[in-house]
Order: sequence, then C-alpha cells, then structure tokens
Amino acid sequence: MRKRVVVTGLGAVSAVGNTLPEFWDSLINGKDGIKEITAFDPSPYRTKIAAEVSGLDPRAHFSKKELRRLSRCDQFGLIAFREAWRSARLDGDPIDKKRVGVVLGAGSGGILSVEKYFRDFYQGMKRPSPSLLISYSLATTTDLIAIESGLRGPRTTTATVCSSSSASISVAYELIQMGLADVMITGGSDSICEVSYSGFSSLKLVDPESCKPFDKRRQGLIIGEGAGILILEELEHSLKREVPIYAEFLGYGICADAYHLTSPEPNGEGVERVIRIALTHAGVSPEVVDTINAHGTATPFNDIAETRGIKRVFGERAKEIPISGIKSMVGHCLGSAGGIEAVATVMTLETGIIPPTIHYEVPDPLCDLNYTPNHSIKKDVRIALSNSFAFGGNNVCLVFKKFSSE
Amino acid sequence: MKVNNKLLNKTPNSELQTPNSVGSHRVVITGLGIVSSIGVGKEEFWKNCLQGVSAIKPIRGFDVSSYLSKLGVQLPEIDFKTFIKPANLRRMDRIGKIVVSSVRMALDDSGLDLKNEDPNRMGLCIGTGLGSSDTVDQFFRSLLKDGPTGAQPLLFQTAVPNAISSHCSIEYGIKGVNLTFSHKETSTEMAMAFACHQLKEGKADVILAGGGDELSEPLYHVYSMLGALSPGRGRGSEGMRPFDQDRNGVVLGEGSGILVLETLEHAEKRGARIYAEIAGVGMAGSTDGLLRYDQKGDSIAKAMSLAADEIQIVDYISAAANSTPDLDHAETLAIKKVFGERTREISVSSLKSMIGEFDGSGGIRACGMALSLYHGMIPPTIGTKHLDPECDLNVVLGQLKRKEIRSALLNGCSNGGSNISLWFKQYSSSSFFSDESNF
Repeated sequence: MRKRVVVTGLGAVSAVGNTLPEFWDSLINGKDGIKEITAFDPSPYRTKIAAEVSGLDPRAHFSKKELRRLSRCDQFGLIAFREAWRSARLDGDPIDKKRVGVVLGAGSGGILSVEKYFRDFYQGMKRPSPSLLISYSLATTTDLIAIESGLRGPRTTTATVCSSSSASISVAYELIQMGLADVMITGGSDSICEVSYSGFSSLKLVDPESCKPFDKRRQGLIIGEGAGILILEELEHSLKREVPIYAEFLGYGICADAYHLTSPEPNGEGVERVIRIALTHAGVSPEVVDTINAHGTATPFNDIAETRGIKRVFGERAKEIPISGIKSMVGHCLGSAGGIEAVATVMTLETGIIPPTIHYEVPDPLCDLNYTPNHSIKKDVRIALSNSFAFGGNNVCLVFKKFSSE
Repeated sequence: MKVNNKLLNKTPNSELQTPNSVGSHRVVITGLGIVSSIGVGKEEFWKNCLQGVSAIKPIRGFDVSSYLSKLGVQLPEIDFKTFIKPANLRRMDRIGKIVVSSVRMALDDSGLDLKNEDPNRMGLCIGTGLGSSDTVDQFFRSLLKDGPTGAQPLLFQTAVPNAISSHCSIEYGIKGVNLTFSHKETSTEMAMAFACHQLKEGKADVILAGGGDELSEPLYHVYSMLGALSPGRGRGSEGMRPFDQDRNGVVLGEGSGILVLETLEHAEKRGARIYAEIAGVGMAGSTDGLLRYDQKGDSIAKAMSLAADEIQIVDYISAAANSTPDLDHAETLAIKKVFGERTREISVSSLKSMIGEFDGSGGIRACGMALSLYHGMIPPTIGTKHLDPECDLNVVLGQLKRKEIRSALLNGCSNGGSNISLWFKQYSSSSFFSDESNF
C-alpha cells in the first residue's frame, strides 16, 4: 500500500500578502495585487504592471551579510519556508533531520541577481560582485532552505517553470513513498526579472491592464512573484507528533502535450489526460471533485484549452464545479505559481471557502464554466484539484482531500 | 506515429493503473544514447572510454584570455541533421539538439518500435543544470542592446529549462510523464531515480531518462568567477585528475546521455537486449554550505547505504569525484564508511576524468555504467598520476580493468549538498551476455 501523505505546514509570500493569513484573507476578499513595476524600469515596455511582492522588509528577516548574498527569490523562499516550518510545529519537536528533505520548483530563480551581474559586466564594469552569481543555479533556494535548518534528507529542484512547483509537490510525495523521507519541504519560490518579463512580453502574452482569466476581454498573463511552501508529512509521523493536519495529498498526474513549444494542445486533450491520470492515482472518481484551482493564466489559448479539458473529464457536471483563477490576484508567479495555488487549494479545504476569479465581467462563449466570478463562495469541499500547465505542454494536476482519519 | 485515442474513448480510468495499487516492477536498461566529447554514439564512446582517451583541450569558440583557466572538454562538430527532423531542428538551440540526438540514439539502440508503443505509457525525465545557458545569454544581450523590442520570442521559448524535454516529446510524440530536474551535479541522477520509481509503480512502460548540459561562454565565466575551475587559485597546473594529490578543481565538459529505462516485463515481451538493471536509489543532503560538497562524507555514505548482503556484491563504484580537493576526499571517506574491510575489493573509477565535469554528467556516466556491467569492463581514471594518500581507494588507473561486475553504484554529488547514489545490477540472464563483447 501507498503511504498516506498529509499537509502539516503552509507558508506564503505574494503580491496580496506576505504571510499565510494575510494572503488568504486577500484572496477570499478578491484583492488585486497587480500594480506598476518597481523591480526594473518598465517604461520601454508596452505593459508596465506586475504582481510584485510589496511591504516586505527583508531586514526584518535577514542580516546585512545574508542580504548581500540572498537573491529576492531566496528571500521569498526562506520567509515562506520559516512560516510553514513554524506552522507545522517542526521548530519545537525533536525530529530526525536526516528524514526531512527539500524539493522546490524553480522558474527564473535568482536570475534577477544574475541579470544585475551581467548587465554590469556587459556594460564594462571591471569586477561586478561575483556573489550575485551564486544564484546562477536554480537549485540555490532549495539548498539554502536545507542548509539553514540542517535538513539532511533528499533534495532536488524541478524546472518546468510554469508547472515547476506543482511538479515539485509530486516529487516530494514520491520521495516519501520511496521511503527516503518522513517530511518534505516543497512548493516553490520565484521573483520577477527582466528576462522573463521581456520574454512573455515578446511572445505578446502579457495583458496591459489587468489579469482577467476566462473573461472574453482577456489579453494575457501578468507576471507575479512570491513563494508558496507546503510541508508534506507521512501520516503516521504527523500523528505521532500530534500536529494539526490541513489536508491530505492524494496524488498527482504529470504528462506532456507533445504538441508545441509554447501553445497548449487546443482541444484540451492534454488537460483531460493529466486530470484523469491524477484522479486515477488518487483513487477518486470525477463525480466527487468539488472545486478546481485552475491554471487560468488569462492567455487566450490556455483558458480555452483548460475549459475544454475540464469539460472532457467532467461532462455535464463541469458547469457545477466552482473553478478559481487566483492568478487574477497574485499574477502568474511562474516557478512558484503551483506552490502558491496549492497553498490556496489546501486553505479552501481547510476553511470551506473558494476564492474568486476577479475582473470577471464579460463571459466568453468558449469559456463557459463556473469560474467563481468576483466573490468567494462558501462550500463544503472534500476533494479539490489544482492544475498547472507549462510551456511545451508540461502538465501537472494535484489532488487534495479534506483530512479525515478513516 | 500512431495517435492513441484509447484513453479518450473508453470510460475513465480503464486504461490506467488500478487506484492505490503499488506496483513492484523491475527496471532495466535497454538502450543507450551518448553525445560526449570522447565519442558520439555508444560504440565510439565506449571504445575511447576503455582506452582512456582524453578530450581536454584549449577552449574553442570563445575567448578565455582573461581567465586563469584555459581548458575545456568540448564536443566535436556534430551533424544534427542526421538525428533530428528538419522541421523540429529549426526550433532547437544547441543543448536541445544535443539531448534530442542522444534520445534518437537511445531509441535506435533499444530497438523500440514507436509504432507499437502507447505514447501515453512512454515518458521523459530529463536533468540539466543550466539548460540553455547560451540562449538565455543571447536573449539577455539582445535585451540589453535593443531594449524590449530586441527581445526575441524564438530565443525565449527555447531558453526555459524544460524546452529540452519538450523538444524530445514533440519530436517523438511521447505523451506520458514528462519532468525536468535542475539541481546542479545531481540533476540527471534525480531524473533517472524518478523515472525508475514511475516504472516500478507501473505508471509507464518506457521512460527515456538522463540529460546533459552544454559548455557555454557565460557558464565558463560563472564557474571561473566562483573559483570552481582548475587550477583554482593558480597553484599547480590545470587539469582533471580525480583522487590525485595535486588535484585543484574541475575542467568543464559538456554532453548528454540518455538511457531507455523499461519495466522488465515490457522488455522481455519484446525480446529486448538488457544491459543491466537499476535496483535502488539512495539520497541524502549535506548542509556544509551553498558552494560546498559534503565535507565529511556522511551524507554521501547515507546515499550509498545498502543492506548487509547487498554490500557483499558491489564490485565497482562510478565515482562522483571531480578533481576538487573536497569532494574526492569526502567520497573516499564515504566509501570506506559504507564498505569497511571490503573497500579495497571494490574498483573505483571516475569517468569525469575523460568527459569533464558538468551538472548533467550523470546521463553519460550511467550509460558507461550500463556498458561496464554488460561487458564486465571498467574504464580507467585518466590524468591521475599520484594517488592522494587520503584517497586510498582501489582506483582503476592507467588502463581498463576486466572484471565481472555483480552490482555497482553510480554516485552523484552536488555542491550545496544533494547526494544521490543509484544501484545498478547485472541482469542475470547470461544468454544475452556475449553478443557484443567485442571491445
């Protein structure tokens, strides 16, 4: 039999809140975190907005010396990790740190720091600070979390960008199944950088006004940043520690469209397959799914393909399932999107509140499902899915369940 | 390729694994694809590997005059058209071409006929440390030069690390599990470990696993600035010499290695040649610092730990040793810790001495491991003249060693502290053993 794996800790840093309670309160109240960019000068760009983390004083969390070396991505990851670690009460309990591992998903990682280095270098500066280059590897934030807390279990980093941190949660779960760890720190962290901003901009995938998933007026995504960290724990281990359980992680699906480098398979065939694989792994039928946290990037093609895929799985019942597109509030956080959305999905199970898709005004006949427009709803949720899809058709779907001890 | 619509037309779940069942399939290696600096393709690679050929040369293609280090282990010119469909080739950057070519060779070597395979039951698990570092650099330079209007969408879409596995999935229509790992020098080892677990659980029949990296100018710059390249701070001569008392850092390499991993049932059903079995994986983290390897070898030892009876049948270790003072010593301590009195009986070699060090080296080294088990031959560690008394292992120096290998470990260790060890076993059906052992 597979081991049962539960979520015992959560941490979040996002454009709508730098702690889990603040993040969740903003989401269920439909707060828009998208503002004018400050990380770099947006004036040469067609679009000038992003979902940046604000009001976070790094000096409250890190020493001056640490701040010289930590990228913005590292900072978000460490702050969200510390919150998750405390919420899982791992700071007090005597645990075997050889059985605690870390798997994060990465997107642009610390490229913001690397960009600074190479900008200086290419513009002729003799010796830009090499400490900016520590972030050259996408593994840096993962390693920092393990090193800070002395975690000596398995460690790796997934790198499928827009679905990275959903993939990382799947890998973390499997490392527990493989018997290599009892507790896994997982999710992801990412920060805005000019490479990713200009990249999506060059693909004409960025909306200049706001992020409007599934709305007919949608023009594209808005880049976001932040971190969403989950602590996965083998059930017996968590019961021994008598720690509160947020939810159970039932399983996942990972598959490929094998269709195009940037466009999703238009008929939702890849979306359908990944949801089916996840449900099969989780051992639940489509009839019992209560809500879906959508990938919902607000790009014209993604939202249609995702809608079609959901309809292919759930048939007539698709219209009854409340769907959330929280990227309308937190933006598309790339390497941390799946982690942040998984945190929101778990909170939905915990609180019975489904966050809304905001800026939803004009229905699109091609996106004709219940996207929980503009206001959160209350619902007794037992089974929740979280979708993440990436460039190249790297699809992931996660299945969470309200915890009960049977 | 035949499009499999079975999944879509049948009732949900009927094609997939029974819920909550945990399979225990055996995982075997049935195909090898290698793009290395000492040979493109299995035959050339293995011949040069056994002969201990060095491909370390002065860097070509960019200017290294401002660095202390001058050497690298670069790939020969490769005609990628012979491996990749022209329509797809246009969309690929260099690392994409390198990895897709190794996938092509692995599929050819395995004898798999894709027409007979369900694309949903085939997967890709790719490891790459820095992926398209050169493309990212080009993209960034164009951004700096011309502002946002200079940013080129075609460069951006190949710049993401998972573009490599997307190229592979598109080239061959592979629709099952698809995942990219990027964790420094354990990227490919993790990709193989995850692939093995998927197969063991019956979630796929065949997974192409491995990966690689390219040696680009920005990457050389970063390694150099971080002080990771031989000759370190300038003492001694530049070179790759694992376990040598005069080792002083790595020489950067590049390349890709892909293994066709398959459940034993699936391989037997189609009568595939089986190189070896992958029977286990261990992982452990060390926490000595962001750019440091495990200092005392405890975590490497934990990753290598096996049951008492399993320890008795390990005959070879393909070491992670990369000619850095720390890692080679820590790995020595770890091997002694695990094997105790048996340490001297175990042959140790580092293929990095020939192919250089790079994050995704595990794919090529795993291909080498499969060939070692299949042929009963261990390639030498080259460049090493004076074995460090602190690295007093049974290192295969000078020339290859013939030896029956019952089982062997492939170690991967990353700076920052991820350590992975994969346990390979000889596949026991001896009828397959002699058909190619002509090297």
